[in-house]
Amino acid sequence: MVSQLHQLTAAIYLIAAIVASVGLALPAPRLARFSLLLLGAGAVAHGFCFGAMHVDGATPALTELPVAVSFMAWIGAIFYLVLAQRARLVSLVVLVAPMAFVSVFVAGLRLPDPSAIEAASTPGGSWEHAHVLLASSGLALLGISGVAGMFYLIEHRRLKSKRRIGPRFRLPSLEALDRLNSIALAIGFPLLTLGVVTGMFWVEKTHGRVWDGSPHEVWSAIAWLVYAVVVTLRFAHGQGARQAAVSAVCGFVFLFFAVIGLEFFA
Amino acid sequence: MKIILIGLNHRSAPLEVRERLAVDDVVPPLRKLLASDEIDEAVLISTCNRVEVVALTRSVEAARFRLRSFFSRDLDGGSPDDGSRLDDHLYEYNDVEAMRHVLRVSSALDSMVVGEAQILGQMKDAYRAAVECNASGPILNRLFQHAFTTAKRVRSETRIAERPVSVARVAVDLARQIFEDFVDKRAVLIGAGEMIEAALSALRSAGIESVAVANRTPERAAELAVRFEATAHGLDELPRLLSEADVVLSCIGGDRPILTCELIEAALRRRQHRPIFLIDIGVPRNAEPEVGALDNVFLYDIDDLSAVSDQNAEQRRRESVRAEAVVAEEQQRFDGWFTALRAVPTIKHLRSRVEEIRRSEVDKALAKLEMSESEREQVESLTRSIVNKILHAPLSRLRREAEREEGMAYLETARVLFGLDDEPEAPSASRTAASDDPENE
Repeated sequence: MVSQLHQLTAAIYLIAAIVASVGLALPAPRLARFSLLLLGAGAVAHGFCFGAMHVDGATPALTELPVAVSFMAWIGAIFYLVLAQRARLVSLVVLVAPMAFVSVFVAGLRLPDPSAIEAASTPGGSWEHAHVLLASSGLALLGISGVAGMFYLIEHRRLKSKRRIGPRFRLPSLEALDRLNSIALAIGFPLLTLGVVTGMFWVEKTHGRVWDGSPHEVWSAIAWLVYAVVVTLRFAHGQGARQAAVSAVCGFVFLFFAVIGLEFFA
Repeated sequence: MKIILIGLNHRSAPLEVRERLAVDDVVPPLRKLLASDEIDEAVLISTCNRVEVVALTRSVEAARFRLRSFFSRDLDGGSPDDGSRLDDHLYEYNDVEAMRHVLRVSSALDSMVVGEAQILGQMKDAYRAAVECNASGPILNRLFQHAFTTAKRVRSETRIAERPVSVARVAVDLARQIFEDFVDKRAVLIGAGEMIEAALSALRSAGIESVAVANRTPERAAELAVRFEATAHGLDELPRLLSEADVVLSCIGGDRPILTCELIEAALRRRQHRPIFLIDIGVPRNAEPEVGALDNVFLYDIDDLSAVSDQNAEQRRRESVRAEAVVAEEQQRFDGWFTALRAVPTIKHLRSRVEEIRRSEVDKALAKLEMSESEREQVESLTRSIVNKILHAPLSRLRREAEREEGMAYLETARVLFGLDDEPEAPSASRTAASDDPENE
């Protein structure tokens, strides 16, 4: 049941991504709005998928990397859907829908059996779940911030070089990309901070001390410091949009390898 | 009935002639035109680029004479001649060519800027005015409705109107790649010439609300500001204005660039490095070239914009070939309907002739027989049914053939075979054509 729902979610996200891309290529703003609806439908299916995981395995196995990646995609999609109309970011569906699809598709390749996870899970209590929930949400939003930053740099370069400035090759506007980068950073960093704090409580509960010096802890702390610098530069020092985009991309690349990469290679 | 179109446009007549003939209210001249016997229906289109009359007439010669005198006397109002005769500027199209011209005009293929959107609205206004004063009848109604449908097809099936071609519109289009919308944006325009006026208009129609005009002579800026609900400033206020501006468009004379690196850097600092879209269409350039290298400044000059404009114009030219094919298809469709109208008098005459025979034969028979009311009704119904069934095949064939050029032979044969020319003909087409529409029968 979980597997089928997960596949259905990936399929809906894929359709949303295709519709959004066609809407961008034509260009046809109506298609962008329609793909927003499809993304919403995908998020609903995704929610049912986590509901089914809960039924099958008591709690969704968020400590497993594929489930955490899928969860991040869900949080990212919901975050974007809430923002899309309010912050005038409808055109960015062309970035968010493919990101959601790729994350869910990749996660789906290694989705674990929920009942097996339940039997093998370590006793972390509610801190464990709070840590994974908050850290995954933070990662999802900082991921969106990083991708928005990357597209900002591409679009910035194109407009500066004055090449291909006709309407055919059109990404979302620089303003929309910068706004998404800024909002995702403003919400993602506090979530990441809470994730780090709850992680320390989890370690304290299982190992009897707040800091045990594991690579995961060390790299997560460095990544948090990197983001603290990024956030300070952006919001306290009035960093320009292009520099903010560079910071967001660098910050996310570092965070990705510090958290996900480390987990994967370990 | 014949369709005739006489008029002038931006290609056939200079601006001063077009200005002289253009009218704001088309109703009074239309009423005057309809008072003459030669014109059965008419629509007058009057814009800054064209003045045309489309008319329906029974005599092309008489209508031509009347329409030409309408242009020279009623519209030109006996203005002193500018050396060239008005007749030299007028063009004339008849029937198929006139239909095609109306469809091309509505689809903006005959416009100064091919694919522009304004002409369709102007044609709709002209048509509405003609309908209100009963100048347009069934045939021109049909022609104009067909023209509007054709224009819609052209816009939806081709990319003729997709890309802007004026420098001001190209600039606004580029601004959309930087800013998501213009609701909370501020524009500063430097200069007060024609280009600035065009840009003001383009920015206003794009939805930008806050606009400031800065000029060396603030009085000239104030004139523009009043017309476009902007604010007027002198050039000494530029440092402050630039720090608030998201879009800056400059077109002002001078030996040295007024938009220096120093000035823009200071503005960027004050606006916390939010992007500035800077359009420099001044010749010589108003901005130092180094300004374009600054972060968060997007500098485009007249050459950059002209290059985009040329690409877009080329795209419109390519698309106009496809648009012409749509027009040709729609013109053929309308022509088929219009040609088929000539069968209407023959068909009506034939029907009334056969009905007369049926009536008289039934009356004779009923006079000899003693029948109840219901039996009489049955006989009536039976004979009517027989007549309809006999006539159905030949009349359908006549309608079909009438749409073709060779169809006239069929109509003549029918008239001879049924002896229709021996009697006076039924009332002819035009204003009764809607009810006799061959497609409706």
